[in-house]
Amino acid sequence: MSANSLDRAAHFECADDVEAINRLYRERRWSDGLPIIPPTAERVARMLAAVRIPPQTVIARVAPGFGAATVERIAINAVMAGCEPAYLPVLIAATAAMAESSFNLQAIQATTNPVAVWLIVNGPIAQQLEINAGFNCIGQGAWANATLGRALHLILQNIGGALPGEMDRATHGQPAKYTFCCAENEVNHPWQPLHVERGFSATESTVTVVGAEGTLNMNTHAKSASELLRVIAQTMIHPTSNEYVHGGEPWFIVGTEHAEILKQAGMDKAQVKQALWEQSKMPVRDLSVHEIERARASRTVELGPLSPDTLLPIATTPDDIQLIVAGGAGTHSVYVPCFGNSRAVTRRIET
Amino acid sequence: MEVSKQGTQALTVCSTAFQTLGRAQARALGNPELPIAVIPHPFGSRDRIQVRAIAEQCAADIVRQCVHAQAGASA
Repeated sequence: MSANSLDRAAHFECADDVEAINRLYRERRWSDGLPIIPPTAERVARMLAAVRIPPQTVIARVAPGFGAATVERIAINAVMAGCEPAYLPVLIAATAAMAESSFNLQAIQATTNPVAVWLIVNGPIAQQLEINAGFNCIGQGAWANATLGRALHLILQNIGGALPGEMDRATHGQPAKYTFCCAENEVNHPWQPLHVERGFSATESTVTVVGAEGTLNMNTHAKSASELLRVIAQTMIHPTSNEYVHGGEPWFIVGTEHAEILKQAGMDKAQVKQALWEQSKMPVRDLSVHEIERARASRTVELGPLSPDTLLPIATTPDDIQLIVAGGAGTHSVYVPCFGNSRAVTRRIET
Repeated sequence: MEVSKQGTQALTVCSTAFQTLGRAQARALGNPELPIAVIPHPFGSRDRIQVRAIAEQCAADIVRQCVHAQAGASA
C-alpha cells in the first residue's frame, strides 16, 4: 500500500546549525529528550538506499495515533537515532511485527504500565550489524543495540503518536523506553535459538518484538540445574505481576554459564520451561483482593473458579515461557517480566 | 469509535487521567467530535459499591450527551 498525501513526511527549512535544529525538535517534541542527528534529505536518501522498497510504501499503521509508518518515515526516525543505513531492514521488520494484533500495540502504547518494546535480533544479520549478544548486551556501548532500540521508540512516539503524558500514559515509564535491543548468543547455545524455535531456518535473519515490563537481574551461584531453576522460579513469583493476573508470557535472558549448567543436566528448552512453569505457581491468596477480582475476570475460563488455595500459573502453558541465551561470563541471568496482554511477534528481516 | 462509525450514536467513558488520551485518539481516528464522559480518577482502585455510585451520578449526564450528539447529527 502506498501513502496518501497526508501520510507523507513534511519538509522543514531550518538554519544549518545542529543546535538550532535540536531546539526545533525539542520544542516540537519530535525527540525522546536526547539530541538527534538532523534527518536532512541527503541523510534520509542514504538511509533509503539500503532497501529496495519504495519510500512511500506503508509498512503498518502504528497505534495509538495510527500514523502511517512509511519506509521514508521509518528511515527519518532511523537517521534521527543515529542508525547506519544497513539497520533499516531490521526496523522495517520490527515495525511490521509490532502492528500484528497479537502484540496489542494499542494497549502497550497507551497503558499506565511501563512496558517498552524489546527487540531481539537472530540469524546472520546480528553478526553482520555487530549487534551485541555478549557482555553488557542490554547495556550501553554497542552502536547497533543503542540506535536500533532508540529508533524503534522514536517510531512509536513520532509515527504512533505516543507522546509521554498525552497518549503514552505510563505512570513512571522505564529506561528501556529510550532503547532496548540485543541479539541472541547463537554460538554458546545449548538449544535451538529463538528464531529456529519459532519456525525459521538458522540461516534466516529475524527480529522479535516483546512487550517488556522491565528487567530483573538474577545472580545465583547455584551449581545444579534443579537448584538454579528453583531460585529462578521463586524470583518469578511476585503478587504485583500483570502476568499472574492475565496469564502472561515471561521472558528470560539465560546467561551462558547458567545455560551450561542446564545443558550439562541434559535439559532441553521444553523441560526448562516446564520446570519453571510448575515451580513458579503462586497461591491466589497472595494477590491483593482487587487483583484476585481481576484474575477471576481474566482467567476463570482457563482455570475454573479461583479459590484462595488455587495455584496460579504465570502463563497459560509452559510453552508461553520464553528463553533466549545471551550475555557474557558470570553467574547472572535476567528475568524480563512482560506486560501480560501481549504476545511477542517474530518477523523475517528482508535484506 | 467503531460503533460510532457504523452510524450508532456512541459515547466513550473515561477517567480524568485518560481524558487527554481519549481526545487525542478520537482525533487520530478521524472522529474528533466523539462525546466523552469523564469520571473522576482513580477508578481501578475503587470497589464495586463506589463504582456503582459514580455510575449513578454519571448516568444522566451520559444520556444527555448521547441525546445532544444524536440531535446534532440529525440536524
